[in-house]
Amino acid sequence: MTQAILFGVISVLGLITALGTVLARNLVHAALMLVAFFFLVACQFLLLEAEFLAAVQVLVYIGAVAILLMFGIMLTRNILGDDTTTVPKSTRRLSMLIALGVFAVLALGIATQQQGPPGRKPWKELTERPAVGPDDLDRKTPKAQIVNDMAKFVGRDLLTRYVIAFEVAGILLTAALVGAIVIAHQERDDDPATRVLESEAAAADDAAAADAESSRTLLTSSSTR
Amino acid sequence: MKDIPLTWFLYFSAACFAVGLLGVLVRRNAIAVLMAIEIMLNAANINLIAFWRYGNSPTVEYPGSRISILAESPLSGPIFAIFVITIAAAEVAVGIGLILLCYRRWKAADVDRFDTLAG
Repeated sequence: MTQAILFGVISVLGLITALGTVLARNLVHAALMLVAFFFLVACQFLLLEAEFLAAVQVLVYIGAVAILLMFGIMLTRNILGDDTTTVPKSTRRLSMLIALGVFAVLALGIATQQQGPPGRKPWKELTERPAVGPDDLDRKTPKAQIVNDMAKFVGRDLLTRYVIAFEVAGILLTAALVGAIVIAHQERDDDPATRVLESEAAAADDAAAADAESSRTLLTSSSTR
Repeated sequence: MKDIPLTWFLYFSAACFAVGLLGVLVRRNAIAVLMAIEIMLNAANINLIAFWRYGNSPTVEYPGSRISILAESPLSGPIFAIFVITIAAAEVAVGIGLILLCYRRWKAADVDRFDTLAG
C-alpha cells in the first residue's frame, strides 16, 4: 500500500515536471523542471530496487547533463526573446494529437498483451517481483545477490562479460568529447568559412545602407520639389 | 507487502515518452528539443529497469545434456541502462557543441532557422 502511494506521488510529480519541461516558456525554468524530472526518475529506480542506478542517474544526469544544458542555454540566450521558442497553434495542436496517439498505441499494447515471450508470463500477470529479501539471501539466487549488491556485480560484469561493449563505449565517449570540442572551438578570423560569411554579411550591410541612402535622397529630393 | 504491478511502470514510462515526443515536436529552440530527447531516453530506461526487476531469467535446457544455463545475464537490464546513460551523455556533449556553433553562425538557436541545407 505504501509502495502504491509512493508510486502515485512520484509518477504524478514526474509527469507534471516532464510537461513543465516541455511547455515552459522560459528555457531556464524548463531546465530546472528537467532537473526535477531526472530526480523523480531516480526515485522510480529506487522503487524498482536499483539503488546503484539511482545514484548513477543523479550523478550523470543532474550533475553533468543538466549543467551542460544550463551552459548551453546561458550561451545561446535568444536575442529575439523567449516567445520564439514555441510553434504556431495549428502545429501545436497537431503535435498534441501525435503525442496522444503514440501514448494511446503504447497503452493499448500494454493493456492488450495476451502472451509473453517464450518461457515468460504476459506483463499483466507480473504483479510480484522475484523475492530478494533477507530471508532469500541464504538461497543465493543470482537475482537476489545482484539486487542486494549491484555495484559490485555491475563492475565485475563490465570488465568480464561486457568488456567489449565497455571498451567501445569508452572509445565512443572519447570520440564524442573530442568531436564536441573541435566543433565548438572558436574559429579564428582567417578561417575561410567565416571570412566568406563575414564578407556576405558586410555586402548585405552595404546594400542595405545604400538602399537607405538612396531612399533618403529620393525622399529629400521629392520633399524639396 | 504487496508489490506494484509491472504495468504501472510501463504506463508511466509510456506517458513520459509521449511527453518527450510532444516536446520534440512543439519546441523550436534546439536546446529545448535536446531536453525533450533526454526525457524520452529516461522513459526507455525506466522500462528497461522495470522489465529487469520483474522478469526472472528462465533457464534453457539443452537437449542431450543435463546442463541448464540462464537464458540471459541476470544483470542485462542495469548494464543496458548504464550504456543508455553513457550514450545520452555523449549525445548531449556533441549536441551542445553543434548548437553553439550554429548559434555563432546564424545568431539563433531555433531549429527552423537552420535551413541552409534545405532545397
